[in-house]
Amino acid sequence: MKRFFEPDRKTWLHRSNPALKLAVFVGLFVWTVLTHRIDASFYLACLFLLLLFFASGYPLWKTALLASGFALAFASASVTMILFGKGSEIWWSWGPVSISKESFYRGLHLGFRSIAFGCQGLLFVLTTTSTGLFYALMQRVRLSPKYAYSFMASIRLLPMALEELRIRRDALAVRGAGGKKGASRLLQMPELYALPLLAQSIRRAQRTAAAMEVKRFDAGRRRTYYYDSPVTKYDAGAFLVMLAAVLAAALLAQNLPIFELGDMRMNP
Amino acid sequence: MPLVEQKEETAADIQGLRLKFPGAADLLFRDLSVKILRGEKVLLLGPSGCGKSTLLQVLGGMIPRVTEVPMKAARLEVPESVGFVFQDPETQFCMPHVDEELAFVLENLAVPVQEMRPRIEAALRQVGLNLPDAHIPIGNLSQGMKQRLALASALLLEPETLLLDEPSALLDPEGRRTIWEAVRNVSDRRTIVIVEHRIEEVIDWVDRVIVFQADGSLVADGPAESIFRRHRNQLREYGIWYPEAWSDAYAPITESKSPALADPIEDQADCPNSSAPRLESELQPLLRLEQFSVLRGGKEACRVDSAIVLPGDLIAVTGPNGAGKSSLLLGLMGLLPRRGLCRYGEYLPEGRRAEREAAAKHMAFVFQNPEFQFVTNRVLDEVSFTLRSEAEHNLQQERRGGSARIGWPFVRRGRLTAEDEGKIERRALEFLHRFGLADYAERHPYLLSLGQKRRLSVASAVVSAKPLLLLDEPTFGQDARNTFAMLNLCEELRASGHAVLMITHETEIAQRLATRVWRVENGKLVDDRSTARSCTDGTRLVMGDADETFF
Repeated sequence: MKRFFEPDRKTWLHRSNPALKLAVFVGLFVWTVLTHRIDASFYLACLFLLLLFFASGYPLWKTALLASGFALAFASASVTMILFGKGSEIWWSWGPVSISKESFYRGLHLGFRSIAFGCQGLLFVLTTTSTGLFYALMQRVRLSPKYAYSFMASIRLLPMALEELRIRRDALAVRGAGGKKGASRLLQMPELYALPLLAQSIRRAQRTAAAMEVKRFDAGRRRTYYYDSPVTKYDAGAFLVMLAAVLAAALLAQNLPIFELGDMRMNP
Repeated sequence: MPLVEQKEETAADIQGLRLKFPGAADLLFRDLSVKILRGEKVLLLGPSGCGKSTLLQVLGGMIPRVTEVPMKAARLEVPESVGFVFQDPETQFCMPHVDEELAFVLENLAVPVQEMRPRIEAALRQVGLNLPDAHIPIGNLSQGMKQRLALASALLLEPETLLLDEPSALLDPEGRRTIWEAVRNVSDRRTIVIVEHRIEEVIDWVDRVIVFQADGSLVADGPAESIFRRHRNQLREYGIWYPEAWSDAYAPITESKSPALADPIEDQADCPNSSAPRLESELQPLLRLEQFSVLRGGKEACRVDSAIVLPGDLIAVTGPNGAGKSSLLLGLMGLLPRRGLCRYGEYLPEGRRAEREAAAKHMAFVFQNPEFQFVTNRVLDEVSFTLRSEAEHNLQQERRGGSARIGWPFVRRGRLTAEDEGKIERRALEFLHRFGLADYAERHPYLLSLGQKRRLSVASAVVSAKPLLLLDEPTFGQDARNTFAMLNLCEELRASGHAVLMITHETEIAQRLATRVWRVENGKLVDDRSTARSCTDGTRLVMGDADETFF
């Protein structure tokens, strides 16, 4: 059976080197943070949404399902700014709430940027496996195998911890310890959950570490790598497409502006 | 004997080993000497905590290389290349896929990449894992296959010695068979040292058995056959699963009353059905299911068309993994949504909340890992917690009744009087006595041994008057001593009118002790058959050691 997070087809983004891709995406994040014009952020959001749908290699409905979360991100990022932001041209006010023209557009601007962020992050996550990323980091940027393998091992342990959280909840319900209500229960929560879950996780981590040691894992020694992590034409491709997307957003904002509001900062 | 074997080489030689764990009161080993020859197959036996696993770790060089433990030895010669397989199938891997995990070993050895594939495939073949594609998630393998994967990764180290630390303890019978078959297939010309409690699959082919005592000293050392002839009593005492363990513990069922049942639970008033007529047809069912089904994620996980549970029943719920056994129990407890009728005695709760409350009132549930059920920091409090919440609940009910009479909508939380508290404490202590835990009343529950933890979780479940006890694989991974202790406990609860519903893979339990066997397959109760035992007869427990009877 196919698992949910398994792409239908491999795109050029899957084939590019995860370490370089990480660098490119960090660049994209920085660029998005430094975008101050609402037209540019609007186009960025649109273009990366398109890229997400066409370059992630997932079927449309899955991408749509995952991207639907961005509506929430958009709302939460923009609403506060829209309702409480400062501005001179007041459209509507009621008590502490005042919607001005500036705050409204600034809110939208924030929302667009959070969509662009979300798309970029999701695009990276959907096209990169954790194993691939850590192998690339070990080979390309000399991340110590000690950290890389610990991370990969801990990813394996996560679902077990989640399963145990569920069991603990059921067990507490059976014992009737979940019955208290209100603040006292909230205070008890960390104690009730942390102790058994931590005890179990620490034991497990220790056993995994022992098993790794007897397999002669030694971070200091020379090692070979099962997956090599070459730099290929796909990396150039990925870099160029991302660059093109960013430039296209900037050009569109310049030549086909929708809002025409200039810099959105208070004191640019 | 062939000539080549006369020139005996030693694989390991330990003389005068002294070892002490920090914080332990006493030395674990006091001048222990063991010599193992190359190519020998050695089985280490002994009670829990006698140091078998520690010795294995010394042999494997993990102590003192990885774990620093104060130790001293007159001579310490351990094999240079060892492969290790541990007990827990879940925690031996660090990578998500099968091929990656095996490649991890080869990477550590700096094997060139182009050699990796063929070696990975060869290792998988050696242990009988015939996967069409080695790049599959480890999570998709069964527990038994995971252990064989662990063996494969040990083999990639090309070890001359294999050390196996209870590799089959957490496996079902099929998994046990295949892992030992795989070990035998690769045992040729290798030294093998095994620690194991379940020895049916092993004794036929080991050359030598070493038996330890609880204090870490050697009792016996020799060929398997003579050890089993001369030291059978010790094996039984240590909880070793030797082939005749079951028939030694339980004589054929007879009608006579067993000595263990001569003094059943005193508070018979607790159990509503204890004074009920002892004829099966006259008994009132404790639980009656009709067109009952449990849902998981909106889908039917387990379906029961019709079934009843009578007081005195011990029902073994059997079936393959993932068939829906656990879902059925969770559904009965009201922890999963459900449909259909589930009557507790005559009472038929309606609505999710009422179902849950009724379930909590009539049934106790013991999870597989008892630690998850502990809610306090003291063994005594664990038991009194159940009593206290029950008393508080009753008090609140009373007050609610009172408030309703005068039309007052609010109810103050019930507070117990000092007298009540004293009563609860006394009763909790009494129960700890019966479960053989009185000496540990002040201890933290986590510091008990596994067998004690399980006993405590049963104690805290049955201390209140709940007639039904649900157990999720209570004997899984336990040694024989703890298993029989747990089963004795169930028998005694039965005798006092409780009913026990137990998920188990152990065919012996279904055959020897159960009054009914429920078989669950593909999310449905397909077979509900009664055994030779009726819910009204007792069993003859031959294993009547004084410290093993709780009541």
